[in-house]
Amino acid sequence: MSPLDIVVAGLGSAYRGDDAVGPLVAELFASANFDVRDVGPLEEPLDLLGRFDGVDLAIVIDAVRSGAPIGTVRVLELDAGHADDASPAEPTVTSTHGIGLVGVLRLARAVGRAPRRLVVVAVEGEAFQLGSSMSEAVRAAVPEALFAVTTLIESEQQCA
Amino acid sequence: MTHGTNRTRTVNAEGIARVEGEGSLRVVVHDGTVSEVSLDIFEPPRYFEAMLVGRHFSEAPDITARICGICPVAYQLTACAAMEDATGIVVSDRVQLLRRLLYCGEWIQSHALHVYLLHAPDFLNCQDAVELAERDPRVIERGLALKRTGNLVMETVGGRAVHPVNVRVGGFYSAPEPAAIAALAGPLERALDAALATVDWVAGFDFPEVTSSYRFVALRQDGRYAIDAGRPRSSDGLDVTPGHFAELSVEEHVARSTALHARLDGRSYLTGPLARYALNVHLFPEVVRHAARAAGLGETCVNPFQSIVIRALEIAFACDEALRLVAQYEPPVPAADVVIARAGVGTGVTEAPRGLLLHQYEIDADGNIVRARIMPPTSQNQLTIEEDLRRVVEGGLDLDDDNLQWRCEQAVRNHDPCISCAAHFLDLQVVHS
Repeated sequence: MSPLDIVVAGLGSAYRGDDAVGPLVAELFASANFDVRDVGPLEEPLDLLGRFDGVDLAIVIDAVRSGAPIGTVRVLELDAGHADDASPAEPTVTSTHGIGLVGVLRLARAVGRAPRRLVVVAVEGEAFQLGSSMSEAVRAAVPEALFAVTTLIESEQQCA
Repeated sequence: MTHGTNRTRTVNAEGIARVEGEGSLRVVVHDGTVSEVSLDIFEPPRYFEAMLVGRHFSEAPDITARICGICPVAYQLTACAAMEDATGIVVSDRVQLLRRLLYCGEWIQSHALHVYLLHAPDFLNCQDAVELAERDPRVIERGLALKRTGNLVMETVGGRAVHPVNVRVGGFYSAPEPAAIAALAGPLERALDAALATVDWVAGFDFPEVTSSYRFVALRQDGRYAIDAGRPRSSDGLDVTPGHFAELSVEEHVARSTALHARLDGRSYLTGPLARYALNVHLFPEVVRHAARAAGLGETCVNPFQSIVIRALEIAFACDEALRLVAQYEPPVPAADVVIARAGVGTGVTEAPRGLLLHQYEIDADGNIVRARIMPPTSQNQLTIEEDLRRVVEGGLDLDDDNLQWRCEQAVRNHDPCISCAAHFLDLQVVHS
């Protein structure tokens, strides 16, 4: 059996309060003994291009704001259906600024470079201002996010 | 999205944003005349300037790299230049050439990102790069291949592409093995071909016939197209040291905006690809000059919409220059000079992909930072972008909200404000009174 190609990426800025949770979880995970690729801290979803191309599983840890209680950890599978939708959770791309995660997945699919699975481990945050500290509730959610990443990988490996 | 009464209308241009509420554009029209254009851009460097005070000078490259995920090398190398100026260090030629190679990688990846994913859709009647990719995947794949090559150069020299970890004041933590650098030649040769094809592609776009009277400012670097060092020069004859430029270029708060606005001798100016091209085109290698002529460009370009052609030319230049640097690479020994702290003030300037970047630091005898000043291209270009926007709005008052919004966004995109340094969330508000 050939080993699975798995990428774990933390999205976010270390200087923006709860936005730092993605890179923090990815960094903690990188120190564990899993046979996965650590692609370092990423600040923009576009940074995934060229790093998650065609892998079996890409796991992205990211802070989100959805109205859920602060510190809530959810595992969201971005599948082809999501990527084809004009997802209400993420408006279509406009303006001068970046491209969101769904947009990046759609773009990667269009050029044949999408990962087979893209799963987001989403941690609900509240403080995203530059210079703000990570919320206690978000910090307390780090072990749960780590567990979610670990579970995803073990499950994928068992299914392979 | 439009809100309004008979006398007032508001148009919100909401971009994809992971952090919102940090940029806005306000336009006031009185009796059919534009009386105010205000582009409010949030600027992370202000936070970092404060955070750097009290930190050791050796930390500045890694801390300032976090200002921008797209152009971390620009921040790192400008911080290094400023600290080396403050401590009286002149790095070896080998270190400087390796820095230039690293910077070429950043130019390639950053310009490829902007040309293909952010700017080209404007000219192809696409809402965004995703739509363009679905319509013409081969074109976007060419852009992504260019971006990967830039990332490869950054990873090989800098240790990783996002926030490189191999840069330090005085040089590098370790010098790449010659074999690793030599292995870049193949990808760079293919990238040069792709870059020249990019020039052909974008030169064929339909550009609005707009001309502007810009005051250009760019670095001039001893016989080379400036990237990693140089003296600031302007299209109206200024030629000064970096330190003198820091004195002349004054950033000021204006009441209507939270962003700083830079003026040079009291007037607006423009840095970036259009400025570099106007002041340094004769320093392009022949392969790039030939491509410029074939693209129909003269010795200067004053149509901001054609900045996409200049960026494509600069990708080709960066590939060609990187190939030259790869061919002559010799590892610096030692990889870094020993830098001993002393009290002083140092200024560094480099050409970030978006324009001239200036760092100035005052450090004490122990090497701790007493004062930090970071002047990104976006704050220097702010007034000029507003002037462009004023022309766009004046010429588009008959447009409906959506089209005026789109035209304004294009005018901003022409100058490629950094994703991280500039607006994350653009609210366009047009008030008619």
